[in-house]
Amino acid sequence: MHDDIDFDQILNQYRSDPFEYIDVRTSHTGLLQFRAKEEDVVEGVTGEWQHIKGTLLFELERERNIKPVHSSVIGVVSSIERSLEGKFVEAGETVMTIRHPLKKREIIERILKNVLSIFPAPERAKYFFAMDIQSRIDKHGQRSISIKPNDEILTMSLMKRDTPVSYQGAPGIIHSVYFEPGQTIDQGQPLLGICSEDTLPLIQKIIARVKAEWD
Amino acid sequence: MEHTRKRLAKCEEGITYLCQIKEGSDWGNLSGLTSKLEGLKNSFYDYSEEQFSDEVSQLEESLTFLTERCQEDISPMDRVRIVRSPLRFSLKDILENVYEDYTELGGEGEANIDPAMVVAKANILRRVKNRVFTQQVMVIGHEKGHGEEYRNGGSSKPWGNEKALRFMQVAETEGIPIHCYIFTPGAFPVEEYPGAAQQIARNLYAMAKLRVPIVSIISEGGSGGAEAIGLSDLRLMFSHGYYSVISPEGAAAIEGRVKDGLKAPKELVEQCAEHLKITAEDNLELGTIDRIVEEPPLGAKHDDFAFFKKLRYEMMRATDEVVLRTKSLRAFRAYELKLKKSDDDDSTMEVDADTTIHIDINWELNADERKRLIALRAKKYREMASKAYCSETNRFNDFWNSACTKTAKVYYTITYDILKRQQKQVEKVIKEVSGEGSSFLKRLTAPFSAAYDFVVHKPAGRGIVRQSSPSPRQEALALEFGDTYTSPLANEDRTITCPNSLKSGCKDLWIPDLYGEFCGVCENCGHHFPLEYKWYLNNLFDRDSIQEFNKKIGAGNPLNHPILRKKLQPVKNETKRESANITFQAKVMDVDLIVTMLYSDFRNGTVGAAEGEKFVRACELAKLQRKPLLAYVHTTGGIRIQEGTMGVIQMPKCTVAVRDYVDAGGLYIVVYDNNSYAGPVASFLGCSFYQFAIRSSRIGFAGHRVIRDTTGQDIPPDYHSARNALKRGHIHGIWDRRDFRRNLHQALMTMGGRNLYYR
Amino acid sequence: MKDRVLIANRGEIAIRIMRACKELGLDYVIVYTDADQDSQHVHLAMEDQDGRKRAWRVASYTDPNDILAVADHTGCTAIHPGYGFFSEDYRFARRVTIRDRPLTFIGPNWEVIKSLGDKINTKRVANRLGIPTIPGTDGPIYNEMEAEEVATQLLDNQQQQKIKNPSILVKAAAGGGGMGIEEVFRIEQLRRVYRQVQNYAKRQFGDGGVLIEQCLRDYNHLEVQLVCSRHGERLHFGTRNCTIQSTGRQKRLEAAPGFDVSCFTYDFDAPKVLRQIVDYSLKLADHVNYDNVGTWEWIVARNGTPYLLEVNTRIQVENDVSARISYLHNKQPNLLREQIRLALGDTMGYDQKSIDFRGSSIELRLVAEDTNRGFAPWIGTISQFSFPQEDWAAVYTHVPFDRAYTIPSEYDPNLALVLVWGDDMTMAKNRARQFLDGTVIEGHNNHGEAIMTNIPYLRGNLERLLTF
Repeated sequence: MHDDIDFDQILNQYRSDPFEYIDVRTSHTGLLQFRAKEEDVVEGVTGEWQHIKGTLLFELERERNIKPVHSSVIGVVSSIERSLEGKFVEAGETVMTIRHPLKKREIIERILKNVLSIFPAPERAKYFFAMDIQSRIDKHGQRSISIKPNDEILTMSLMKRDTPVSYQGAPGIIHSVYFEPGQTIDQGQPLLGICSEDTLPLIQKIIARVKAEWD
Repeated sequence: MEHTRKRLAKCEEGITYLCQIKEGSDWGNLSGLTSKLEGLKNSFYDYSEEQFSDEVSQLEESLTFLTERCQEDISPMDRVRIVRSPLRFSLKDILENVYEDYTELGGEGEANIDPAMVVAKANILRRVKNRVFTQQVMVIGHEKGHGEEYRNGGSSKPWGNEKALRFMQVAETEGIPIHCYIFTPGAFPVEEYPGAAQQIARNLYAMAKLRVPIVSIISEGGSGGAEAIGLSDLRLMFSHGYYSVISPEGAAAIEGRVKDGLKAPKELVEQCAEHLKITAEDNLELGTIDRIVEEPPLGAKHDDFAFFKKLRYEMMRATDEVVLRTKSLRAFRAYELKLKKSDDDDSTMEVDADTTIHIDINWELNADERKRLIALRAKKYREMASKAYCSETNRFNDFWNSACTKTAKVYYTITYDILKRQQKQVEKVIKEVSGEGSSFLKRLTAPFSAAYDFVVHKPAGRGIVRQSSPSPRQEALALEFGDTYTSPLANEDRTITCPNSLKSGCKDLWIPDLYGEFCGVCENCGHHFPLEYKWYLNNLFDRDSIQEFNKKIGAGNPLNHPILRKKLQPVKNETKRESANITFQAKVMDVDLIVTMLYSDFRNGTVGAAEGEKFVRACELAKLQRKPLLAYVHTTGGIRIQEGTMGVIQMPKCTVAVRDYVDAGGLYIVVYDNNSYAGPVASFLGCSFYQFAIRSSRIGFAGHRVIRDTTGQDIPPDYHSARNALKRGHIHGIWDRRDFRRNLHQALMTMGGRNLYYR
Repeated sequence: MKDRVLIANRGEIAIRIMRACKELGLDYVIVYTDADQDSQHVHLAMEDQDGRKRAWRVASYTDPNDILAVADHTGCTAIHPGYGFFSEDYRFARRVTIRDRPLTFIGPNWEVIKSLGDKINTKRVANRLGIPTIPGTDGPIYNEMEAEEVATQLLDNQQQQKIKNPSILVKAAAGGGGMGIEEVFRIEQLRRVYRQVQNYAKRQFGDGGVLIEQCLRDYNHLEVQLVCSRHGERLHFGTRNCTIQSTGRQKRLEAAPGFDVSCFTYDFDAPKVLRQIVDYSLKLADHVNYDNVGTWEWIVARNGTPYLLEVNTRIQVENDVSARISYLHNKQPNLLREQIRLALGDTMGYDQKSIDFRGSSIELRLVAEDTNRGFAPWIGTISQFSFPQEDWAAVYTHVPFDRAYTIPSEYDPNLALVLVWGDDMTMAKNRARQFLDGTVIEGHNNHGEAIMTNIPYLRGNLERLLTF
C-alpha cells in the first residue's frame, strides 16, 4: 500500500531544509541571563552514560538560585529573544530557537511516522507505559515488545485518575515511541508507532534507502 | 671473541639500565657512553680481538664509574625507576633461584585468574652438616614480568588478591610458612566483584590471625596493593625498593593540582618522592620494616645469582626468627649467637659462604606457639607508628591511665565474664528444670540480680544504673529531628536544585526547610545533601550521652612534610579538633556503644597515625567494656598521603585491632556516608561483617581519575554509588538519614542479640 | 503601605478572592498555568490592566518558588492560598512569613496550622480541654497488650450504649487518606489485625505505631465556621451540615444551619447540640490562639453525641453557605473579605451579638461527572453555560459564559457553586430545585457525547439534607 512512496520527493524535501527548529522554553519563572549568542554552535548531552551536559544556553535566577540551562540537542542558536535579557520571565516563555541538523536516524523516524501504524492518544492526558511493559522495555528494549489488540499497554493519567489503555490496531512490535512519560499529550497526537509484520519489508526498504542516499 | 661480544652486550644492558634510571642519557657522561657503545657495535670488525677487548674494558670501567657515581647520590625517584625497570629481578627469578623447585598454583603464565599475582608451593633447601633438608613454603607475590604486558605491571586485580588469600588458608591448613614478595605499584582499582577494597580488607582481616609464620619482603610497595599480602610477622625490604602510600606521580598530580589528562612536572614528582620518605632506610627508621636486604649497587637484576643466594639466606633466617620467637626468647638468642659465630667463622671464606644456615629449625608450630605467634604479631602492629602522632603524655598520666585500665579490667571481667557466666548457668539450669515461663525465672533470679547489681555498680562508683526510663520508643518519638540542633546550613533564604531534578522532577528546595525539617533530604526523590558531622553527633545519639575520649591524641607530621607543616595547625585551629577521628562513648535508644567517627572537615577525613591510634584505642575500650563498636564514616578520603607509610601502616594496624575485638566477641558495625575511599575502606572499615551506607553516599577504592589513569577506562558516574556497593555485596543496606537512629538501633539489636556483644 | 495580594489559587476561589480584594480596595496579582489560560480567572485579571500586569504564568500552582518569585517581582505584600494547594501547608506559611522579604500569609499563623494540622495532636489537645473526640487512643500504640486493652474497652462501651453491631478501627498512625485501616468486630480478631496493620505501617511508613478508635456509622457531618482576628477576637458564623458526599468523600450538597427540625425528627435537642459544638469549637480556638478563619469539623451520632473530627485551618469552599444565614447590620457578610481584612491586621469591628442568624441556605456543587459510575470525572468542551438570575441565589464559577470552554484535564471538573437561600429550609429547597431547572449546561466530549453533570444527583439528594 505504501509502495508508491516518492522517495526522491521526500528526500529532496529534507535536503532543502535538513533542520529541525527547536524552541527552548523556560521551565519556570526567574531572572534571565543569556549565556549563548546567535549563531553559537551548541552541543547536546554527550558521554558514554549521557553524563556530560550540553552547552550552557542561559541562566534563570529564582529565589537566589541561579539555575543553568543546557542545550539538549546539537545545533546552532538561530534566534534569541534579546528583549528578555536581564528580565523576569514567566514559565514556559520561548527564549531562543536552536536549528538542529537532522541526523539520518531522525529522518528515518520522520519518514516512518507515515508508514508505521500510529496509535494516537485517546484523550488529552498524561501517558505512561503499563508497569510490565515498562520493565520489559527497560530490560530488552522497546523493539522487542510485540503487542496485539486489547493488550493493556499504557496508563492514562487523567483528572488525577489512572485508567488503563488497551491497544487497538494491527499486531506488531513497538517501533517508535512519540511521547515522554508524564507529559500532557493532546488528544489524537501519536503515542506509538507500531510495526506490523507485513510492513516490516517496507520499513527495512525505507531505512536502507535513506541510509544509502543520505550523508 | 664471543666472550668479548657478551661483555659488550652486558655493557649495553648496563647503559640501558642507567638510561632507564636517569630517564634518558642527559645525566653524567651517559650520552658519551652511549655513542661509544654505538661506535664499538658498528666497528666490531675494525678492531683486533685484543684492541676490542681493551675498548670494552675501557667502556666497562667508565660504566662501573658511572654506576658508582649514580649509586652514591641515588635519589628516591631513581629507586622508583630501578624498581620499575624490566631488567630488575622479578618473582619468577626468585622462584627459580631462591627455591629448589616450585609449582605455580591457581594459574600458570597467561592462563591465570590474575597473572599479576603468582602463588606457588615451593621447597627451600637447608644444609646442616652435609645433610640436606627441604622445607615447604607457600610463596605468594606479585609478578611484574620482564616486560610482559599481561602481567599488568604486578597490579593485582581483586580476584588475584582473592587467590592469594585462598592459598594463605591452604598454607594455614598445612602448617607451612608463607613468604610474601611485594612487587606492586598498587592494586588494580576496580570495584568488580569482589572489589579491590573489599578483597584487600578481607586479606588483612584473615592475615591478622593466620596461624602460620608470614615473612614479607618489599621491592615495590604500592600502598593498599602491597598491604593485601603485606601483613606479616617479619617485614623485610630490598635496599633499592620503595614503599609508599602513593606513587610519586600520583602525589604530584594531587599536590600540583594537575588537570585531568596532564602530567605533573618532573621536578615536582622528584620532590614528592623525597617528601614521602619511601626508601628502605627511611622505612627502617620509621619502623614499618624490620630489616633491609642489601642489593648490589643500583639494585639487583634478573641474573644476580649471588644476590639470590643471599636472599635465600635472609628469607630462611627471617622465617627461623619468627618461628623461634614463638618458642622462647632463649631459643631465639641461642640461634642468633650461633648464627653470628658461623658468620664470624665464615668471614674468611668466600662471599657466598655467609648465605647458608647450618642450623636445623623445624618450622612447624604447636598450639601454644601458634597462639604466641598471633599475639606477637598483634603486638608488633599495635606498636607501629606509635611515635607518629602527638599526645600529651607524661609519666603520671601514663601511670594513671594504666591503673584505670587495670581497675576497669577487673570490673568488667567480674561484670561480664564471671557474673554473666554464672547467671547464664543458672538460667540454663532453670530453663531445663522448669521449661516454663519467665515469671518463674524472674522470681528466682531476682534476689540474685539484686546482688549482682550491687557488685556491679560498686567498683565503678559511676551511675550506670539503668533507671526505669521511658521506653526507647517513646523517647525516640519525643526527640524529633531538629528539636535540639539545626544545621547552620539552614540559615539562608535561598533555594537549591536537587541533582535529580531533571530525572525525578524535584522542585527547588528551600534551604531552611531542606537543612532543617527535611534533614538535608530532597522530599521528592530522597537525594541526600551532605550535612556536617555535628548534625549526626546531635541527632543520632541520645541526648547528652556523648563522652569523648582520647581527644588529645592529635595528628602529627611524622615525615616533616612541608604541606602538613603549613596546613596542619590551621585545620586544628579551624575545627578545634586534633585529628580527623572523633572517638566517644554514646547511647542510641539507651544502648551503650563506642563510636569512632571519621569526618570531612579535618583534611577530608584522611587517616594518619593519630586517627589509627584512636581507632585502635576505641577497639580496645569497646573490648574492655564489652560494648558494640560503631565506625561511622562521615567521610574519608583515604590514608593521609603526607604521613607516607606511617599512614599506610594504619591499615594493618587497625585491622589487627578490630579483628582482636571481633574475635573477643565484639559487634562491629560500619556505616558509610558521603564519600569513603581507599585505604580505610580497604582495611579496617571494609573488613566489618556488617557494613551499611547512608543514601547518596559513595564507597570505593579509587576515584574516577585514578581509575582512568591506571586502567585507561572511563567508569560510569554511579560506579561508586551505595546502590552499586549493595549490588556487589559490599554493604548490606542503604539507610535513609532520617531513619539512621532507628536503623542503627535495630541493627544493634538484630546483629548483636541479647548481649549486644555477641557470643 | 497599601497591600497587594498574590492569589495562589485557581478557579472560582481565585475569582472570589480577586473580587474581595477589589472591594477592600486592595491590588492583586494572580498566577496561572498553561492549562488554565482559558479560565475566567485569568481572563478577568488580564482585562484588569491599567498598565499593570496582573496575571503571571507559572510552572505549577504547587511550586512555592515560582509563586514567591512572582510575589517579589510584582511587589506583593500578602499571599492568599485559597483552599487546597498551599492553604494548610504550614511549611509554605512559615516560609512566606520568615523569609528575608516577609509577606503576610492570609490564614492562621503557621504554628497553629502545624499544631492543628496534626490530627493526633488536635485530638490530644481537645481531650485535655474536655472536648469530646472519637473514643480511642490519642497517640500511637506500639504494644499488643495495650492495644487489646483499649479495643476491649471500646467494644464494651459501645455495647453499653446499645450500639448495633459495634466495631473499632485499627489505623496506621503515620498513615492517612484511608490507607492501612482495618475494621474489627470481635476482640478475638484484634491480635491478627493489629499485627497486620503494624507490619503494614512499619513497611510503608517506617513506624509501627497504630491508632485504635471506635468505628462510627450513621452520623451527620457538621461544621462550625469561625472567624478570628489577629487581636484575640473570635466569633462564629453558625453551623452547616455537609453530610451528603460523593463516594470519594467529596462534598456535593451543604446546608445551613447544621440541623433543622422541619426536615427530620431528631432523637436529641438539635439547637442544644449545635450550641454545644459551637462552644467547644470556640474553646479550642481560644486555647490555641486561633487568628483567622477556620472550620471545626464535627461528627454527630444519631443519638446526638458530638465528636470533634478535625480542624480545617483555611477558608473552605462552602464558607458562603454559612454567610448566607448570618446577617451583619442586615446584610450577608463576605467571609473572604473578612478573612483578608483580618489577616492583614484589622480588628473585627463587631461582636457576636451583632450577628443575626436567620433563614436557611443550601450550596449545590455543580460538577461534570458521572454520578452513576463512581463520580467519574467528565471532560470535554462546554458550549452553553447559563444560570437564572435571582436575588435569592448566587453563582461562583470560573467557567466563562460568553465563549466555549474546554475543561482542563489537569484539575477537577468543578463547574460552579450555586448558593440559594430563603426564609426556611423548605423555601431554600424549593428555590434550589427551581434554580437547577433553569440552569443550562451544554457541551460535548471528543467522542461527540453530551456533557454529564451531577445536576440530577443534586436534585435527587435535596430531600436527604439534614436527615439521618
